[in-house]
Formats: sequence, structure tokens, C-alpha cells
Amino acid sequence: MKPRWRKVLHDLIDNKGRTLLVVFSIAVGVFSIGVIAGAYQIISHDMSASYSANIPANIELRMANFNDDVLTSIHNQHGVSDAEGRRVVNMRVRVPGTEKWTTLDIVAFESFPKNAINLLTPVEGATVPKKREVMLEQDALKHVDAHVGEPLEFQLPDGSTKMLPVVGIVQDTAAGAGDFLASPFGYISTDTLEYLGQPKLYNRAYVTVKEGGDDIFHIREIGAQLKDKLEKNGTSVLRSRFFETHKHPLADTVNAVLGILMALGILIVFLSSSLIANTLSALLNQHLRHIGVIKLVGGQRAQIFRMYITLILAFGVLALMIAVPFGGIGAYQLALYMANKLNFGLLGYRIMPLPFFIQIAVGLLVPLIAGLAPVLNGSRITVLSALSGDLAEDEIKFEGGEKRLSWFDWMQVKVTSLLAARGIHIPRPFVISLRNTFRRKSRLALTLFTLTMGGAIFISVFNVRVTLHDYIGQIGKYFRADVTLDFDKPYRLDEVQRAVTNVNGVVKAEGWQFISGELLDEHDVVLENINVLSPPAKSTLIQPILVSGRWMQADDVRKLAVSEGALKYYPNLKADDNLTLKINGRKEIWQVIGIFKFVDREGVLAYAPYEYISHMNDLANQSSSFRVVTEQHDRAYQDAKAEELDKYFRDQGYKVRIAQAGSASLDTAVESLDILVVFLLIMAILTAVVGSMGLTGTMGMNVLERTREIGIMRAIGADDRAVMRTVIAEGIVIGSISFALAIILSIPFTYGLSYIVSVAVFQTPIAVVFTYLGYAIWLALVLVLSTIASILPARNAARLTIREVLAYE
Amino acid sequence: MNTQPASRKRKSVSDRHAMTSAEAMIDMHGIVKRFKNAAGEFTVLKGVDLTINRGEFVSIVGKSGSGKSTLLNMITGIDHPTEGRVVIGSTDIYTNVTESQRSKWRGRNLGIVFQFFQLLPMLTLLENVMLPMDYAEMYDFDERPARALEMLKLVGLEAFAHKLPVLVSTGQQQLAAIARALACDPPLLVADEPTGNLDTKSADIIINLFEELARRGKTVVMVTHDPSLTSRTTRNIIIADGELINETVAKTLPWLRHRHMMEFSKLVEERTYQPNITIIPHNEHVEYFFMIRKGEVEVVLQDKKQNETVISRLNPGEFFGEMELLRGGKSIANVRAGSLAPVEVLTIKREDFKRVIDQSPITAEAIGKIVQERIEIHRAADSRKTKRTSKTVKTES
Repeated sequence: MKPRWRKVLHDLIDNKGRTLLVVFSIAVGVFSIGVIAGAYQIISHDMSASYSANIPANIELRMANFNDDVLTSIHNQHGVSDAEGRRVVNMRVRVPGTEKWTTLDIVAFESFPKNAINLLTPVEGATVPKKREVMLEQDALKHVDAHVGEPLEFQLPDGSTKMLPVVGIVQDTAAGAGDFLASPFGYISTDTLEYLGQPKLYNRAYVTVKEGGDDIFHIREIGAQLKDKLEKNGTSVLRSRFFETHKHPLADTVNAVLGILMALGILIVFLSSSLIANTLSALLNQHLRHIGVIKLVGGQRAQIFRMYITLILAFGVLALMIAVPFGGIGAYQLALYMANKLNFGLLGYRIMPLPFFIQIAVGLLVPLIAGLAPVLNGSRITVLSALSGDLAEDEIKFEGGEKRLSWFDWMQVKVTSLLAARGIHIPRPFVISLRNTFRRKSRLALTLFTLTMGGAIFISVFNVRVTLHDYIGQIGKYFRADVTLDFDKPYRLDEVQRAVTNVNGVVKAEGWQFISGELLDEHDVVLENINVLSPPAKSTLIQPILVSGRWMQADDVRKLAVSEGALKYYPNLKADDNLTLKINGRKEIWQVIGIFKFVDREGVLAYAPYEYISHMNDLANQSSSFRVVTEQHDRAYQDAKAEELDKYFRDQGYKVRIAQAGSASLDTAVESLDILVVFLLIMAILTAVVGSMGLTGTMGMNVLERTREIGIMRAIGADDRAVMRTVIAEGIVIGSISFALAIILSIPFTYGLSYIVSVAVFQTPIAVVFTYLGYAIWLALVLVLSTIASILPARNAARLTIREVLAYE
Repeated sequence: MNTQPASRKRKSVSDRHAMTSAEAMIDMHGIVKRFKNAAGEFTVLKGVDLTINRGEFVSIVGKSGSGKSTLLNMITGIDHPTEGRVVIGSTDIYTNVTESQRSKWRGRNLGIVFQFFQLLPMLTLLENVMLPMDYAEMYDFDERPARALEMLKLVGLEAFAHKLPVLVSTGQQQLAAIARALACDPPLLVADEPTGNLDTKSADIIINLFEELARRGKTVVMVTHDPSLTSRTTRNIIIADGELINETVAKTLPWLRHRHMMEFSKLVEERTYQPNITIIPHNEHVEYFFMIRKGEVEVVLQDKKQNETVISRLNPGEFFGEMELLRGGKSIANVRAGSLAPVEVLTIKREDFKRVIDQSPITAEAIGKIVQERIEIHRAADSRKTKRTSKTVKTES
């Protein structure tokens, strides 16, 4: 092997600490981008593939009870490929002998073997439940401790209970798709319906379209036609949902979230590149004498350039060997985690080609680009400079033959002198730490950049978390009731309002109503579902977040407040504008009185006064849905009161559909958001890790370049602790400066991240909230990280023998 | 004339002043230092014994690689010996002392001046001088600036107190380094080639300062290879190949090469003569070369009537017996110990002396000149005696 390549090999393996630092700096960027890009690819592909493989319905119609004739008419509708009817009922179940009830959506199939829409994938046990048997969707196991072969107790509408054995566990990729708030699912045959006190009728139709399965507008059109037809034939459609065949309902949200993570991954690559640049710059600086000697014996610039580029590539290859396999595993694990959360399947572990090549490119190109400037500068240096250069150069300029300090160094000395003149003396060891901090300004800048970015993102994630929680809390103002009590049929308001007071701890009840329709454009094309909730106009159980206009009044007729979701279709919508809606099959013009913030999930949400809607529905002074207020408002109390109300009303013969805590939906939403926040926090921690590595590397390089000065300090009386204090103080100064900068930078980062996340999740920007928590945690972390990052170099410095560092003989 | 036999003892390679321990500033016993590297193990110091007393201004000289800086490192605690013991003041600086403790001790008890100044570049001259006080926690915190300024005044640099080292000349940097070394008022100042990087004028200033410090009672030990500096110190220690050359040999025969000096150092025998005891009787064969370590030696001529005339008195650093060894014959005068105190001499056998001198023409020439001068003195003394005898005879007759 030629001597020059032997030198390259020696440089690679001689200083293992430095090699590890460079390799790890590259690897963390490659790993991050590999995980995110890989997960992105796997999820994008498998989510849709898994979803479409189970032949998802394009249209789901929630209707009043209907029979096979209606189903046949749906099937025969132009544009419809297939249609299946199911009955879906909310039922409470529990493991026998336990107290806790769990609400499931029980789906009754006419024929499991003939099931051709929203296919079920067997997981365990039987694939077809017989009469008086039940299968559970695998997600239900998170809520109820059921096992195959063991019974579950079902509560019937009249309050009595029946047992059904669990015979199988299945995966239903359409279950709850796009609806975080959906209950878990169970599956029975229609033969079991009577056993459970249910009529043998359908209330849901699942429809696939013949063509245009990925054209949401076409699907909506078919859906609208179906709805018209059904309503004309006297079958009311309560709600309709539309889905594309090859697009998971949450695909946009997941892609948006992954997009955010990808942006953070790219940022990590960027940060790691500055870390690499710093380290390579220090490496070249340490090798200046080598370069000088090489040139002295005839080495040429191009040869030196090639040597060090080869060294950098070697670092890159080593990093790839570590990061690529872990990146692939990490990508799959991330995808698997999201798949489990969102209930879709993956097609198995594999390395995705594109992320693989992206990793290779990042692992080789990023260090090359980062190291190009130092290598070019190093290879250009003259023999004289290289052989006479001081490693710890200070910025000295020559003007008119005289030495001049840089203004920054001059200022530091001046400030200390001025303070001294006023009797304020800073201990010299600390002055050393302070001034050492600023000696290598470009290195400091890079270090501060990575650490500050890490800190700003870390703090921003906490702010975003609080912002999201606050928004959910704000949204919670739309759900101020403690218990939601729904019946299968309407009851008189006064009757229920009187009855609820018989339950201890209940204050009052309020009757609400509901209508659904479609939002039409100027050509009467269906744009989106619109769901109109109708509390009493003066209801205190809702505190809307108005963006413009006003809230509803009791005498509003054909007037409604709409959520910001409508702006997606009518960007210039404002109060007093009109919207064309299709309600109960009729095209109507409604006036918008106000626009409010809300998390639209299934169509646009709107509010209109009970006073008008109840008349529209011919249900004046009646309601099937009540909002109950209790004396206490914590979740446990709400759950207990919901339980009591359920029992009371069932015992009184009421047809209770569901009674649940008002916070239940919010808690589920918060839980889902926390998953997102966890991901963001992981990325923030990674950026913080890169920042810390930057600081560790910088402190290590600083100590390495100042071993002579450390030797001087030891020679004039500094003991181990004094040396360590000086080094650690420098690290803490850098950490403190980065914290101050991170505070400033966290403000725009918080706004930016909040905007991106809120638009991705809520389709609307939300008000930003700041919390001291992120700042406090990051301050503690950065001080600890700064100390830790400095301790090892400090200990190494303290352990150097003076003779080694002052080798002057 | 008394001719009691001399008390002899086998020489030690280095001289050791028989002073009480209270007066010794540096006491080194059996110092061995070995280094290991890829090429193997090599011994830099081969069993050095050295005592330096308080208030001495000592130079340590030697060729490059002789071990002088390593020896200095043993004194300063910058490096530790493989074997041996070093006591500075009353502190054994290596036994049960950690590196960290030694650093702390060094800050309080030692001032070090380096060849390349070694000022911290990010601190002003004033701050550099204050730094040892901070480490040693000496003087009140608020007193330190004033004291540091005093030190800079001592070296003439008060006007540059707030300048960074890079903005002053090399001579000024070295002066600042000396001020720093004096910051904690240490009793011992150690300098390694302090003028090695300076011009003559600056070097002169530095040495003047060291002389002044020595006059004020500080012990100053300086490593140098500059003969113009060694002449200004009160004591000169030569090290060659890790061993100390006998100071008497070095002082007596400065023209010898160091290897010859070392050879003599290993061959010498130490003898002590009580006052008035004859060392070399007249008209006897001389078998040794004598070097005076301590005391005074008288060269006496005796006439036929046994009347004695002291023709010269020899002091430490001078030699005798050379005439007879070089020219042959018997002793032409009586050499005896002075009357006031015992005399300590180092002797070398005739054959060893002749062998080494034959290898050193410069030494032979220098000794030859001295021989010539002494012969002239003898002749002159002899002729004066003859005249007086004649006068006496004439008078009697």
C-alpha cells in the first residue's frame, strides 16, 4: 500500500474517539432520514394497499332501519358496483364478573362468507361467528379483556344482559378508519340480532362504485343520488360518508404528520452536516503540520485533496454500515407502530429502494459537502504556514506592520478592564473560560447553531403540545356536558329533564337535535356532508370559538353557524353569506350567521337553534339526544353518573342507546394528539442529541488544541478541579448562550410548527400557547448536557501530564 | 611539617555540600528517569544526587539530550522520577503526592519560567500574573490586582499591564512570565533556557533580574547552554548523558570535553588534609593530579637551612601536581594544606590523568601554560632566595 493511503488508514483508526464522533455525526443524520423516508414510503404504499385489499366501501350510508328491498334498490342504482347491508348498534359489553362496561359497535352481517365489502382479515380463532356467537375486532382487545373461547356479557336495550362467546378475533381496516372517536367493533350474524333484542333490519348500507373509485367527487355524486332516491322513497339517510378505494381516510393526516417528521429529519441532516463540518475542520487543523510535511517532500495539492476526500468517504462508509441497517429497522418499526395505531396492515419487513439510496447519498454526499471547504483550505495551505502555524490560532491582524487584535478580542479585554476599574474583578479562571469560548468563532457559530436549533425545536414541541391541548380544551367547550345520553327514540324534553333529577348528582338535562345534509356548490354538485347540531340557542353547554359573525339566536330560521371547514370549499365565506344545502332531499338556501373553529372529522359541522330544527324535524319539545350536567365534572364522576343514568333509564323502560362521559371523546382525541407529540418529541430529542454531540465534539477539539495551555495552567498551580472547572465552565457558557438564542428562535419555530401541525391535523391554524415547561426542561437539559459534554474532555485534560503537553526539549 | 596521611574516601560523582538540611532548598537523591517508547526503554537520568542551597543562583548546563531539562522537570514536579526522591524545601514532592496536589504545591512554592514564555494568550499580562494567585488562593481576591501590578512594575512592564501577550515583544513576554513566576512570592525560581528565544539585550535584562532576585534571597536555578550566562551564576552544574559532572572537576579543568570531565568524575578520589599537613613533599615523585575542592593549599619553597617561603597559595578550583606529572621528575616544592582549615582535594592517578590529557590537546595546552607560569614563579622565588642567601653570607664574612 502506498504511504499516502497508509496515512489515510492510520488517520482513520488512530484517533478512535474522533473517528467515532465523525461517524456518529454522519450516522445520526442518515439514520433519521432513513427512518422517516422509509416509514413514509412503507406507510404510503402499505396503508393504501392494505386498505384497498379489503375492498373498502366507497359510500357508507347511515339510515333508518331498512330491509333487503331497499338494499336491492341501492344495488341497482346506476354507478353502483356492489352494496351490502349491515346493522350497527351501540352495545355495552363487559367480561362477566367485572364491573367495567365498554361500549362496542356491534356489526351484524347477513352472510360472512358472501361478505365482499370491508373484508375482515382473520387474526385468531373462527372466521365466521355462528348464531349467538361474536367475533371482536383486534382493537377492541385494548378496551375489553376478552379472549377467544370466553364469554362476553352484553347489555340489551331493556337493561337485561345476555352472554355471547367470543369465537374469533379479526382485523377490519375500515373500522374506525378516519374516525379516532369511533367505538371498537364486534361482529355477529344477523341471526343473533333478535337474541340481543335488536330487529333483524339493516341500518347501514356499504356501497362500492363501478368506476371512479378514486374520484371523490364522483363518489359523492353517486352518494347524493342514492340519498335522494332513498329519501324520496321514504327512507331517511342520517349520515353519509365517502371514501376513495385506494386512499386510507387518514392518509392525508398521516402524510402531513410524516411530512413534518421528514422536515425535521432533513433538519437533523442539516444540523449533523454542520457538526461534521466542525469536526472535519478541526481534523484538518490538527493535520496542518502533516500537510506541510507532505508538501515539503513533494506532495501536491491535488494529491492531498484526494487523500482527505478519501478519508471523508471512509467516514461516510463506516457511518452507512451502522445507519443503513438501523435506519431500515427503525423505518419498519415506526411504520408498524403507526399501522397498529391506525389499524392497517403492513406487507412485511423490507428495505425500500428509494430511502436506501437516499441514505447512501446522504451518508456520502453530506460529509463530502461539509468537508469540502476544510479540505480545500487545508490542501491550499503553504508549507510555511503549515509548519509554523499555532493550532489554537487567535485572530491577529497586521495593519501597517503592527499587530492588531480583532475588535471582538479587543472588546473582551476592554470590558474586563472597565469592570476592573469599577472594582468588579472576574476570577481569572472564569475569564479563561469566557474568552476561550469565543476564540474559535466559526466553530462556536456552528456549535451554537446545532445546539440552538435543537433547543428551539425541543422547546417548540412543548409549546406545540400545550397549544394542541389548549385547542382540544377549547374544542371541549363545545362539549361542556358531563354526560351525553342518547336514546333510540325521541322522548319529551320535560319528561327526561324531570327524570334525570332522580339520579343523585345530576343537575339538569338539555335536549339537542341533529340533522345532516350536503353542502352544494353553484352547480348543485355535492361538495361535502354538513352535520347540523341543534342545542337550544341559549345553551350554556357550548362555548363556541367564533372567528367571525355571531352565534345563533332562538328566532334564527334557516340560519346556521358553520365551522372553518366550510372555508375549504368557500374560501371567501363570511357572515351573512348564503350557502346552498340539501336537507332531507330538498335544496335550501341557508344564511351563515357566523364561522367558528372546530375539528371537522366527518364533513362540515354547523350549529342551528333547537327551536327551529325541532320544528323542521317535527319533533318540537322532543329529543332523542340529551346533554346532562352533573354536580362534579371530573372524568371519573362523569363515568359513574353515565353508568347510573344508563341503568336508571333502562330500568324505567327507556330505550337507551348510549350514555357516556362528556370528556370521553376529548380524552381520546388528546390521546391521539399525544402520539403525534411523542413523535415530534423524539425528533426534537434527536436534534438535541445532535446539538449535544456538536458541543461534545467542540469541547473535545477545544481541549485538544489547548493542551499546551492546560499544561501551563498545571505548571503554575491549577489542580485537577481547577482545570476541570475551566473546561466545564466553557461548556456551560456555550450552553447558556445557546439557551438564550433558543428562547428567541423558539418563538417563530413554535408558530411555524403549530401552524403546520394544526393544519395537518385540524385543517385550520390554531392560536399558539406558550408554556414555561419546555424552557425550564431545556434549560436544565442544556446545562446538564453542557456539563456532561465537557466532563470527558475536562477529565482528559486534567489527566495529561505536563511534560507531554509542554514538550519543548 | 606535618605529614599525616590524608583521610580518603571514594568520590561521589557529584559534590554535595555538607550543609544542614535547613539550608538546602533542593535535595535530590538517586534520581533515575527512564522513558519507554516504541524503540524501547532508555534512561535519561542515571542516578543523580544534587543539593542546591537557599539563595544560590545555579546554572545547569549540558548538551542537547544530556537530560538537563528532564532534571529540571524533576525539580519542578512537571515530570516524576522513575526512582529516587526529591525534597524541595521540606516537602518530598513525589511520595504519596498526586499530580493534582503537586500542581497546587507548585503554585505556592515554585515559580517557573519557560523558554517560550508560555503566557496564556487570552489573558492580559496583568491577568496572567494574577492567575497563579487565583489557583493558589493566596492574597485576598481584591488585593491580587495590586500585587500583580507590583510584579509588573518590578520587571518594568506596568505600562503594558492590559495588553495581551501577542501585542508585546518577546522580551517583554519573558519579563511578564517572570512576573507571573514571582506572583506568589515563591522561594524557588526555576528557569528553562529563559533567554533561549531572546536577543542579547533582552537576555541581559533577564539575567540581571535573576541576579537581583538571588541577591534578595531567592533560590534561582536556570538551565542554559549559553556560557556567557553560566559565568554569571554562583554555581555551575554540568550534566552529561544523564549524570552530573563533579563540580570541582568542571571548575578546575573547564577546557575538558564533558565526556572527559565525566571520566574524571568517576575516577577521582576524595582526600582531606588537616591544616599544615604536607600533601606533596619536596623532591618526591608525584603519582596523582590534585584538584582543590575546599580550603587553601600552600606551595612552599625550603632552602638548605630549612627556611620556608610560601610562593603561592592555591584555592578551590585550582590544581597542583601537574608539573611533575607532565614533565616528569620529582616535586620541586613542598605542597601543604593551609593553616586555617582542613583542605579537601580530589585526586586522579597519574596514568588516568595522562591518558585523558593526551586526548584533550586544549586542556594539555592550557595546563602547559599554567605550568609555565608556575615555573616562572618558582624561578623568581628561587633567585630572590639566592640573593638573600648571598647577602647574608657576605654580611657574615
